[in-house]
Amino acid sequence: MSASTHSPVLKHHFDNLEQQHSAERLGMWMFLVTEVLFFSGLFVSYTIYRHFFPAEFAFASSHLILWIAGLNTVLLITSSLTMTLAIRAAQLGQKKPLINYLLLTFALGAGFMGFKAFEYYTDIHEKLVPGEVFRTEYAKAVEHEAHASAATKKDHEEHIEHWAEELAKHNKGKELGQDGYISPEKVQLFLMFYWIMTAIHGIHILAGLGCIGWLVQQAACNKIPRENYSTVEVVSLYWHLVDMIWLFLMPLLYLAGAGMKGH
Amino acid sequence: MDAHDHKIDDPPTMHDVDNPAKVFTVYLVVLGLALANIGLSVAGLGSISLPVQLAIGSVQAFLVAWYWMHLRRKDTVVTLTAVTSLFFVFIFYVLVLSDVLTRQGGGL
Repeated sequence: MSASTHSPVLKHHFDNLEQQHSAERLGMWMFLVTEVLFFSGLFVSYTIYRHFFPAEFAFASSHLILWIAGLNTVLLITSSLTMTLAIRAAQLGQKKPLINYLLLTFALGAGFMGFKAFEYYTDIHEKLVPGEVFRTEYAKAVEHEAHASAATKKDHEEHIEHWAEELAKHNKGKELGQDGYISPEKVQLFLMFYWIMTAIHGIHILAGLGCIGWLVQQAACNKIPRENYSTVEVVSLYWHLVDMIWLFLMPLLYLAGAGMKGH
Repeated sequence: MDAHDHKIDDPPTMHDVDNPAKVFTVYLVVLGLALANIGLSVAGLGSISLPVQLAIGSVQAFLVAWYWMHLRRKDTVVTLTAVTSLFFVFIFYVLVLSDVLTRQGGGL
């Protein structure tokens, strides 16, 4: 009898390990299709609203923190690299490099979430949150623009967040629907997309981190022998997809208004 | 599936172990494209910025899928599954946009 038929890794309903690995990969790919369709709903909605409200989307996007998005992109792409190297280590039966690459991937993913948490904190602090907080901040800025004298204006500027002041100044003297008017409601619409899309992506990252943590535990307990490398590969497929989604989210959310900075 | 071509006495297949040089090359290209995306956006491409950004994102996604997600192995069913998802996304975009963008009055 062959090594593959005797392998403890081989499930009884497969002829051989290669067939088993193919089935595992296919199962994960079927799941990834549902993920792609799930995110495509968000992307289609975003495309439509950006088409109709380009100025509002560009304005809101220009107030997101681009350096964090750029850094997070580097972290995620690097984590995909280390994940791919982890598969290689698993295929070659190298336990220590496998664990090291998985830990590195985990650290990079956790770093992504750390910067994301800092970004959320900053956004909340700057009141870039759709709803009552946004409306109040904008109303304060409009009130100030309309009534404050030059002397009090300088003092007040220190208490109003930058985006609200800029939006109020931009819209001063313009009517709703007039050319050049940036609708605060549509700015909030962009922020809804920003929060929902990045939060859903963040949840996927957390799920991926959980899976990678589990892989580390399995590898440490010698439960990922060479012939069972597809366990690592299946998790890596998910991780790469999450990385891929970010490669689209980043330009759509953070670069929509990059050319507007400092206008 | 490739599994049918695999003899039962064969050891676990290792023909698809990644070449580290190729893995790092893909990394550098994907990273370079990400930086190019940011650079081009800051430069201000106007109305073509969105198509350019999405085109760069698509090239990056293709590289990740082809090399790191191992679509290059030509496992027919897996490739078909991946392509099917793109086909469904295409149908989704075409049907929804053809409705919304052709409405009389041109609004939502």
